[in-house]
Amino acid sequence: MSTAIQQRAHALWVIVLTFFIAYLLAIVPFPDWAMNYRPEWVPLVLMYWVMALPYRVGIGCAWFAGLVLDILEGSALGLNAMGLVIIAYVTLSLHQRLRMFSQVQQSGLVFTLVGLNLLLTHWLQIVTGQTIASNLMFLLGALTSAVIWPSMFQLLRHIRRSFDVH
Amino acid sequence: MLRWSDIDKTLFIKGVALEYRALAFLLLSVCIMFADHRFGYLEMVRYGLGYATTPVYWVADIPTRVSFWFDDVFVSRTDLLEENETLRERLLVAQRELQLLESLASENSRLLELREATEVIPGEVMPAEIINVSPDPFSRRVLINRGAQDGVFVGQALLDANGLMGQVDEVLPFTSWVLLITDAQHVTPVEVNRNGERALARGSRVNSMELDLEFVTQTQDMKAGDLLVSSGMGQVYPKNYPVAEIISVFSDPGQDFSTVRARPLADIASTRHVMLVFASEQTVMPALDEEPVRAPVTGGVIERTPAMPQEPEPEQAEPEVDNGASAADL
Repeated sequence: MSTAIQQRAHALWVIVLTFFIAYLLAIVPFPDWAMNYRPEWVPLVLMYWVMALPYRVGIGCAWFAGLVLDILEGSALGLNAMGLVIIAYVTLSLHQRLRMFSQVQQSGLVFTLVGLNLLLTHWLQIVTGQTIASNLMFLLGALTSAVIWPSMFQLLRHIRRSFDVH
Repeated sequence: MLRWSDIDKTLFIKGVALEYRALAFLLLSVCIMFADHRFGYLEMVRYGLGYATTPVYWVADIPTRVSFWFDDVFVSRTDLLEENETLRERLLVAQRELQLLESLASENSRLLELREATEVIPGEVMPAEIINVSPDPFSRRVLINRGAQDGVFVGQALLDANGLMGQVDEVLPFTSWVLLITDAQHVTPVEVNRNGERALARGSRVNSMELDLEFVTQTQDMKAGDLLVSSGMGQVYPKNYPVAEIISVFSDPGQDFSTVRARPLADIASTRHVMLVFASEQTVMPALDEEPVRAPVTGGVIERTPAMPQEPEPEQAEPEVDNGASAADL
């Protein structure tokens, strides 16, 4: 029993660390031309953990992760939280089917969800007056997220198995 | 080691139905967004969470600091000597200019006394470093390594060695967000150094590195190459700091206003070393008491009426003022 608890605590640390790295990648400055091509790291990591451990990483975690992202990006509180809750909800309700999907199908879903998330946050940012309506180039982030998803999935699965997170 | 309980929990999620939980958290998000953005009830929460997020910025900044450290450590002696030489020369030139400036300043204050105008006292500055930029490509904001612990306040002006950069937008414990003058929602009250013509410089919506001068009538005397300095009108920025240089003026007789583009003098894209201005208290405090949040837009609106008395079509300007006011409310 005590080993199980230890493992659980240990595993939590791994999940937090992957989120920490995702936050780092999300706020590291890029040259201006590359800004639109950045994958959405936090939604990707969240999707993986929701898919792999739906009984541990759920909507509450997604909401908190979004809140932290809001502070980091300096946007209105609740903006990214909302987007991540929607992503977590869809992933949770599909997680059994998602595991059966091929990589391409998974990437397709990632593209859709991240794209929706980007649209929603962009729209909310316009409403809250943080940004101005512009072209739709910011949706390129969904494309790069979908492209990077298979390798991201492999990497995170490797991490999860080697640290025995369950 | 796969146990039945594991399989059970992997396959089925127990507890309240997923839809209700998702809905609850969505509503919660909307509520806090409203409370935070509309009413600013969550300032303390933001501030508290700022403690938690500081390590992320700190780690994200490590590569830059390491590269600076490398530059500092692995530099040849001749390079250092050369740099020392140039710095000494520049210091000499600067000191000479300062001597002239002293007499000019005293002369200027005497003249101001004659005109019974309030004297503008140059403020103290505090050095700071830019440690991050906003990940949102549409908003021009940077993060600096000074926060509430250093006495930074909302509305404080940020400069680099060449000119005005922006103003503090949000203060966190150890860091602060600065809204740059090139942000499309930021308006800087400026005047032409040559003749004192006033204008409002808004961040360009098209080119992220430029400013557009708004409501410049066709008769106003502005030309390419003119230096724009802060006019101090919005009471956010101190007076007479260089802001931008006009790069083109285009007057279409069919339009009400000229299209004037300007390039900021501050090295906004690449500088790291910046300064925060602590203006003297009597000049700045009243404005801050009135409207501590979203100062740029308010500053622009206050500024507009005295700056443009000869505006040909006031009804044209009205909707803009409304826009500004609602943006200030948001």
